[in-house]
Amino acid sequence: MKMLLTSVASLAVLVSGAKAQESMVFTSWGGTTQDAQIEAWAEPFSSESGINVLQDGPTDYGKLKAMVEADGVSWDVVDVEGDYAIQAGEQDLLEPLDFSVIDKTDLDERFVTDHSVGSFYYSFVIGCNEGAVSECPKTWADLFDTDKFPGKRTFYKWSAPGVIEAALLADGVSPDALYPLDLDRAFAKLDTIKDDIIWWSGGAQSQQLLASAEAPFGSFWNGRLSALSESGVPVSMSWDQNITAADSLVVPKGAKNKDAAMRFIAYATSPEAQAKMAELTGYAPINTKSPELMDEDRAATLPDRQTETQVNADMAYWAKNRDAIASRWYAWQTE
Amino acid sequence: MSSLTESRSVTGRQGGRRMPRLFGEVGPALPAFLLIVFFFVAPVVALLLRSVLEPVPGLQNYETLLGSATYIGVFANTFIVSTVVTAAALAIGFPVAWALVVMPMTWSRIVFAILILSMWTNLLARTYAWMVLLQRTGLINKMLMAVGLTDEPLTLVNNLTGVTIGMTYIMLPFVILPLYGVISNIDKAVLRAAALCGANRWQALTRVLLPLAAPGMAAGGLMVFVMSLGYFVTPALLGGTSNMMLAELIAQLVQSLTDWGLGSAAAFVLLLSTLVLYGLMLKFFGTSRLGGQ
Repeated sequence: MKMLLTSVASLAVLVSGAKAQESMVFTSWGGTTQDAQIEAWAEPFSSESGINVLQDGPTDYGKLKAMVEADGVSWDVVDVEGDYAIQAGEQDLLEPLDFSVIDKTDLDERFVTDHSVGSFYYSFVIGCNEGAVSECPKTWADLFDTDKFPGKRTFYKWSAPGVIEAALLADGVSPDALYPLDLDRAFAKLDTIKDDIIWWSGGAQSQQLLASAEAPFGSFWNGRLSALSESGVPVSMSWDQNITAADSLVVPKGAKNKDAAMRFIAYATSPEAQAKMAELTGYAPINTKSPELMDEDRAATLPDRQTETQVNADMAYWAKNRDAIASRWYAWQTE
Repeated sequence: MSSLTESRSVTGRQGGRRMPRLFGEVGPALPAFLLIVFFFVAPVVALLLRSVLEPVPGLQNYETLLGSATYIGVFANTFIVSTVVTAAALAIGFPVAWALVVMPMTWSRIVFAILILSMWTNLLARTYAWMVLLQRTGLINKMLMAVGLTDEPLTLVNNLTGVTIGMTYIMLPFVILPLYGVISNIDKAVLRAAALCGANRWQALTRVLLPLAAPGMAAGGLMVFVMSLGYFVTPALLGGTSNMMLAELIAQLVQSLTDWGLGSAAAFVLLLSTLVLYGLMLKFFGTSRLGGQ
């Protein structure tokens, strides 16, 4: 709805505008995350720069590739998964970022490449509906233990950093020995709970599964659990060995409004915009100056404070092995 | 779908003795014909080319598809689900269509309104509604447990059961509407005649009514089967990953893996099997009978 309103408003400005106004297109995953990106980034950026930010979505890698190949790119800034950003950069699908416009001094260097900067980062954590079960799993090993914790559990459906790491950690692999991923071992571990897995394909579905206790526990994006908890569902969250992964902001090769895109990314990664985004979503800022601008109570709940047992998914490893893992992942799922 | 219907009516009219009036008959169909060429035939050809040209020229995409147990499994599953859904839709749709013909006008209007309204409701909303109804803590399981039919909640979603229920529901109107057309044209006197000749109710159904309704069953069944083959939303939401269907595989190959060559090959195999099935149906039932005339 908000997206529609923004577009209609921008259209109205375009039509009535006394001077020709610059505009650009931002594409993300829709839902509450994109709503937050509009509020934290697009709207303040527009009023500051006079550049209209039109919204599109959801992000679709097939579409991005098609646009670049056909030289008909209608997206200027796209929110993508971190490992895809690295891979797409290597496949020459992205514009190099202009770091004379984007100030990267304070950006978390884990998420900066020549073609991408972090958008926000999140953790896969263990969530549990306390109202539905007598005891909640606290570790990945618990979540993979169907004797101790019988019932359905839910995991992210798509091939992406997170579930394979969780399986290996549950099987006793130490975090510093995770990479290169031992896929045989991971799939063998996943086999032990396969019949009890319900897959979630998007954030809203993960919330629905947990709230209805269709799957009373599972692995979730931390922000979705915070949101559920705020809506009154008795949700507990275990940060034990939380697995981080990030989204990135990229500019597709041949984007029509490259300059505006760079300015938008510069704004979106600024301390203020990142702090606002984190406050709205429960995901962590990728600008190291942001936490000090935030309400302490809120900042304390974000992944960047949960570093004690935190495990960082290796985005470079994933970028290199993304396709191979994905073929095996989807083949295993359909078995 | 529309393209199939379209080409069928064109060839149907063209055939045989009415050749001299060919242009006069086909002329009005020209805009539709051009539309199909530009927006259907051309993309399909592009698809076919992609499947043999990417990433390198050759048939390796088809080799991968047909040589992998995973992909064969997805094909098999697609056909199994479509068959089950078609059978279920016919089994439920036939009595409903019959009831619509014989029930008083006021009632049949209400049932029709329900049918049509459900078709007009957003597909995603209807599928989500089933998700909520079928889940372990959903209404259906609660009712089954309340009346003591089961102690444990049944797993009705994220598996073949969920896909079958959801898709059958969505496909029902496509069976009921053509069947209604055919059944309402059957002269009810033949049933009385059958009874007079000593047929019991079962014989009247199997030897008189069903054969007369066969063209409607074939048309509706084919429509449902073909639609099911390419169905995406409902299987993706109500099915589990172990009963993935082709459309989902294609989406995955194109969107997530950006392997367009393989995705195009899968899409082309789907199209080809659909056409073959359609051809077989035409051979067995003929154009005019499929048209329900």
